[in-house]
Amino acid sequence: MELGPIWRALIRNKSSYILIALQIAATMALMVNAVSIIQERTRMMSRSSGTDEANIFQIYSMSFDPAQDYQAMVAADLDAIRGFPGVANAVVTNSLPLRQGGWSQDLKTEPGTDNEGSGVAIYFVDEHGVDTFGLNLVAGRNFEVTDVSWFDPDAGPRWPGLVIITEAMATELFPDARPADTVGKTAYIDNDIPVTIIGVLEKMQAPWKDWAGVERSMLVPMKRGDGFARYVIRAEPGYRDELIPQIEQMLAERDTGRVVDGAATMTEIRANAYLEDSAMIKLLVFIVSLLTAITSLGIVGLASFSVARRTKQIGTRRALGAPKAAILRYFMLENFLISSVGVVSGAVIAVGLNMWMVQRFNLTPISWYIIPVAMIALWLVGQCAVYGPARRASLVSPAIATRSV
Amino acid sequence: MLTMQNVSMVYRTESVETHALRDFSLEVDEGEFVSVTGPSGSGKTTFLNIAGLLEEFTSGTYKLDGKDTNSLGDTERSRLRNEKIGFIFQSFNLIPELDIFDNVDVPLRYRGFNAAERKRRIDHVIDMVGLGSRKKHLPSQLSGGQQQRVAIARALAGEPRFLLADEPTGNLDSEMAESVMQLLEDINSKGTTIIMVTHEPNLAARAKRNIFVRDGRISTGEPELQVAVGG
Repeated sequence: MELGPIWRALIRNKSSYILIALQIAATMALMVNAVSIIQERTRMMSRSSGTDEANIFQIYSMSFDPAQDYQAMVAADLDAIRGFPGVANAVVTNSLPLRQGGWSQDLKTEPGTDNEGSGVAIYFVDEHGVDTFGLNLVAGRNFEVTDVSWFDPDAGPRWPGLVIITEAMATELFPDARPADTVGKTAYIDNDIPVTIIGVLEKMQAPWKDWAGVERSMLVPMKRGDGFARYVIRAEPGYRDELIPQIEQMLAERDTGRVVDGAATMTEIRANAYLEDSAMIKLLVFIVSLLTAITSLGIVGLASFSVARRTKQIGTRRALGAPKAAILRYFMLENFLISSVGVVSGAVIAVGLNMWMVQRFNLTPISWYIIPVAMIALWLVGQCAVYGPARRASLVSPAIATRSV
Repeated sequence: MLTMQNVSMVYRTESVETHALRDFSLEVDEGEFVSVTGPSGSGKTTFLNIAGLLEEFTSGTYKLDGKDTNSLGDTERSRLRNEKIGFIFQSFNLIPELDIFDNVDVPLRYRGFNAAERKRRIDHVIDMVGLGSRKKHLPSQLSGGQQQRVAIARALAGEPRFLLADEPTGNLDSEMAESVMQLLEDINSKGTTIIMVTHEPNLAARAKRNIFVRDGRISTGEPELQVAVGG
């Protein structure tokens, strides 16, 4: 191995090599942080909402007739939807996970305005809510028909006194208790209205994907009975897409004086919720790829220039006994050393940049393994980039050594 | 130790064929000091390149130390060059980014010697050429004569069977040229075979044998230079 002489030669002729090492360092720093952001966004996007996303869709109905008996209309709609072939269940509710709009309030373990509460997303549902969303009730019981009341939007909710919460919310309220053991405990809403926890769900995300408490949700047994009704429908597997236009048509035909609209599958709602994240990932992948390509071209350019500048030196080395493989190895090693300076500097810059971004933008710190993986990736990129010029160098004839020009 | 029989070298382009060597035959024995002279374009450098395994030839036979070089691949030719031949170039061909020690080290690394052995040899040859105190100097910090001494040290470090010198004093003033010639004579007196290509008749005359090349052949028409003066 000629690492020592190559390193000493690099040090003595460092200006052009420093530039390429800096370029590699910048690529490394940006690559590591971009990958970290991509990883964080991907992790966020892959979180389960806790619902049967593949089979759920929503449709809403808007009526404008003040003489309409909305509660009767909703009840009749629900009966019709639940009886539709291919429908597994349906519920009228205020929102869905990932919809980016919903209802939240504080829930407290002690009554009173002085006590601090924990925010929770609220879904108003009837006894079909758990099944329609495909939720996993891990403790306690579901609502019964008699638990459910109508929600008068003009008067605001009259809290029915029974709620089902997610495990994350149970742990938030009672950190010392197992989630299942919170069944039967009392919490307070609107500061001092007691509600009893009758069930615990394994998981149901809040409508806001970026909310720190996204896993904290609560089902309240109330049905909304006004002009606006959001129906969430769970289809039997394989029926979702064909059911959407059929249910739309059926609802529209049942009452021609209303607007039936807003059909969207949970898959679409998820895609819409994470549109920016998805675009960000694509942008970062593009930027990292572009940077890597530019760095590769930089390495190719420098190595080609270096080979052209040192043609006589290469011929001399060949004359002194270097086989082609030794010349190839020389340039590969030289690039490895330049890349090493770049990736090590880049790793330091990457960590510093990440520490700043964690503080400034509240990002997750980079996973430790991203740095060695990025180093190896950039080493490989460097070796691939330098291979062509290095191979050309190895083909230089030893007879070049005796040429006087 | 060096035998060429009817070696020809033809450079071909689409429209031109150039005969650089024509039926070139030469035998050089161990310990000889042979000078090769001739006008520009006569084929001296082509002969040197072929003798030094830097270039392949078109036809004929070339045996180096009894080994037929015709069928050798690149790796084997490189190994032979490294082990048996020391090169001294007109413009020294030192590597400018490496200090003297590392320059002399270049062929030894290709030889695969361990670090201790390389150091021993480098110290020995650098001392021998009188540059023991300049090991950490860069070539640019040395005079032309000193650089050529380093090149000679590099050529000798692998203890080759013979030295091929291409105009070794071509870039030196007369004083330095004389010093380099004395060094070559000294090396030859210790048993190393030397083949030296030169333009200068007075230097060629100091060799034990001189051959004159014209039009790619050993010429018989230059008695004052072709006559063997020793050996």
